[in-house]
Amino acid sequence: MQAAQSLPQRRPAPLSFPSLAMLASERTLIGAHIITALAALSIGILMGPFQTFRRSPAFMEALPDWKIPVFTYYYQALTIHGVINALFFTTFFIVGFSYFVTQRSLERPMYSRGLAWGAFGMMFVGLSLVLYAIASNQANVLYTFYPSLVAHPTFYIGLVLLVVGTWVVTANIFLTYAQWRADHPGERVPLAVFATLANYVMWCVATIGVAVEVLFMLLPLSLGWITHTDPQMARALFWFFGHPLVYFWLIPAYISWYTMLPRQTGSQLFSDPLARVAFLMLMIFSIPVGAHHLFSDPGVSAAMKGVHTILTFVVAVPSFLTAFNIGAVLERAGRSRGARGPLGWLVRQDWGNPVVAAQLAGMILFIAGGFSGLIHASLTLNIALHNTAWVPGHFHMTLAGAITLTYIAIAYWILPLIRGRALFSRPIALAQIYTWLVGMLIFGHGMGAAGILGIPRRADLAGSGYISPEAATWLNSAAIAGVILLISSVLLFINIIGTLFFSRAPVNEDGPITTGSSDGSPLWFERWGLWLGLMLFLALVAWGPLFAETLDLVNGFNVPGFRPESPVPLQ
Amino acid sequence: MHIDRLERYWIIAVTAMLGVFMAALFVSVVVFRVQLPSPVGRVDPRALAETEFATPGLSDLGAGRYDMHIVAKMWNFDLGQGKGEPAEVRLPRGAQVTFFVTSEDVTHGFFIEGHDANLMLLPGQIASTTVRFNRPGTYHIICHEYCGPAHANMVAAIIVE
Repeated sequence: MQAAQSLPQRRPAPLSFPSLAMLASERTLIGAHIITALAALSIGILMGPFQTFRRSPAFMEALPDWKIPVFTYYYQALTIHGVINALFFTTFFIVGFSYFVTQRSLERPMYSRGLAWGAFGMMFVGLSLVLYAIASNQANVLYTFYPSLVAHPTFYIGLVLLVVGTWVVTANIFLTYAQWRADHPGERVPLAVFATLANYVMWCVATIGVAVEVLFMLLPLSLGWITHTDPQMARALFWFFGHPLVYFWLIPAYISWYTMLPRQTGSQLFSDPLARVAFLMLMIFSIPVGAHHLFSDPGVSAAMKGVHTILTFVVAVPSFLTAFNIGAVLERAGRSRGARGPLGWLVRQDWGNPVVAAQLAGMILFIAGGFSGLIHASLTLNIALHNTAWVPGHFHMTLAGAITLTYIAIAYWILPLIRGRALFSRPIALAQIYTWLVGMLIFGHGMGAAGILGIPRRADLAGSGYISPEAATWLNSAAIAGVILLISSVLLFINIIGTLFFSRAPVNEDGPITTGSSDGSPLWFERWGLWLGLMLFLALVAWGPLFAETLDLVNGFNVPGFRPESPVPLQ
Repeated sequence: MHIDRLERYWIIAVTAMLGVFMAALFVSVVVFRVQLPSPVGRVDPRALAETEFATPGLSDLGAGRYDMHIVAKMWNFDLGQGKGEPAEVRLPRGAQVTFFVTSEDVTHGFFIEGHDANLMLLPGQIASTTVRFNRPGTYHIICHEYCGPAHANMVAAIIVE
């Protein structure tokens, strides 16, 4: 430690020469990604609580004319909430985090800064175009943008730029890995990078589906180059992408749990090989399960739905492996803090450290969220739950719970590193985390209960005539959760802005990165070509027949496009 | 590759649990005969007037069995009701109805309160499910997929007498 610190400065890490370039890029390149992600989140997140108010009978009875601020039209706000949070916030954050993990773990800068900034530029232009399309009311099509609804071309071009940007990111990460591999023959890549590589392999396979949908159906339809599409085929293509998408969000959170939480809690990872097995399973089995989003679709056979259900249970296995492995990490952490008895470690955790507490809160939500997912992935139970409020209840405990809280945990240490200043306020951070946990539990439960009673998702319920008094209670409870989550969001942004602009204390912790090789994992785990081949084979088996079912060779595409506002077909 | 003994037990326990879940699903399909929507045919959404969907509504097949054709459109269900009449249909208690539903324009949803009926309605596809109405009461048919500004008001009713 240096005695006199007149200027807040990063503690000098043991640097070899290339790391200087690496550290500089953390402030600029990675900072740009993380800050763009959080700025996007600030727009998207606010629209969430406002929707719960529109859906609450008690709230709308009290204020009958109340409208969502800024994006006054409900479905516009809903589109912002879904597209900006689920697609742009996540992707920018994941890319920035992936660069950080790759550079620090491999102890070398990215292969090409030019490629990295090029990708950022593409994604940023994509974000701007999509925001323009939605803000100007020309893309009220929600984040699933199912045809035959048609949005303005800038919406689709923006999405294409986002996805192509991530392909460039993938290339950059793999080229960096190849350089490292050339210098380190026969070594195992650090676990965090292993998981990152698995994530991008999966992402590249998955995005083929949505790329085909957008480039061959939606964008040409929107531009008027074609006049008809096939909504059933489009839904199949979307969900080829849509389920791996959730693992694309989840894997960075798992990277934090597996490789950072052990250090943050003063513990140790229990099993490196089984962590790798979990990541490989997530990568391989994320693709052939997507039809569990299509259980109610008329153009998909019950047989294919059954196949995807069985594989969905397989993809639950890596999350159970994670539960054991991380449970063991936390047990060791709890015992080192003085926990007694078989279960005392569950309580004796570092609940006062925001970086740890946010992840623990996320895990609590993930237990409820994960099991709710197993329930509606069961194809016969899904008949009662498909497209009801249960579904957003589920993914607000997983995506908006476990995943987002873990990203917030990451933000609470990575923002200080980017800025060179300590986190603005730990008490505010803790208040934010626990209000988020409580709010999301109430919201998840309220939405789940309303869903069981048949309340649909994605509906501006103000004024709809089918809400039973019992369901109204749960919708009102979701609105109370909305208030709590609104407070939590404000606290989050106070801390972000405070850290960026008002914090004066120096950073005294470095990134929780583990470098170097680990023992015990077979080297053949890193045969990415083999895994890619296996994934493509499974994709062919699970999706080939399904796509064939959606083909109509006699009539071809025969569904015209529609703007959401009008029942008159386009052109 | 070393796997800890306790972790091995955990993996076996988890696999067994998922196996039980899967067996329960199998039972629900084979024993309780829960039906999943399956392809029953396609239709040209631009020319519904030339198909079985030209005149939506209920047809009595006798012995308490009915077929019901419904066209979903932005933003109502056409059950064959006249202009200005409410979108509702009356059924005797115990009626077993096979629904044939399609969309004329965009993606809609079809959900009957209190019954196992949950379909996506896609233009170009005929969706079908069979429901038995045993309890008297009013059950809404709710559109559960976003279809435009009036989506939340896209509702019809089944009145079981």
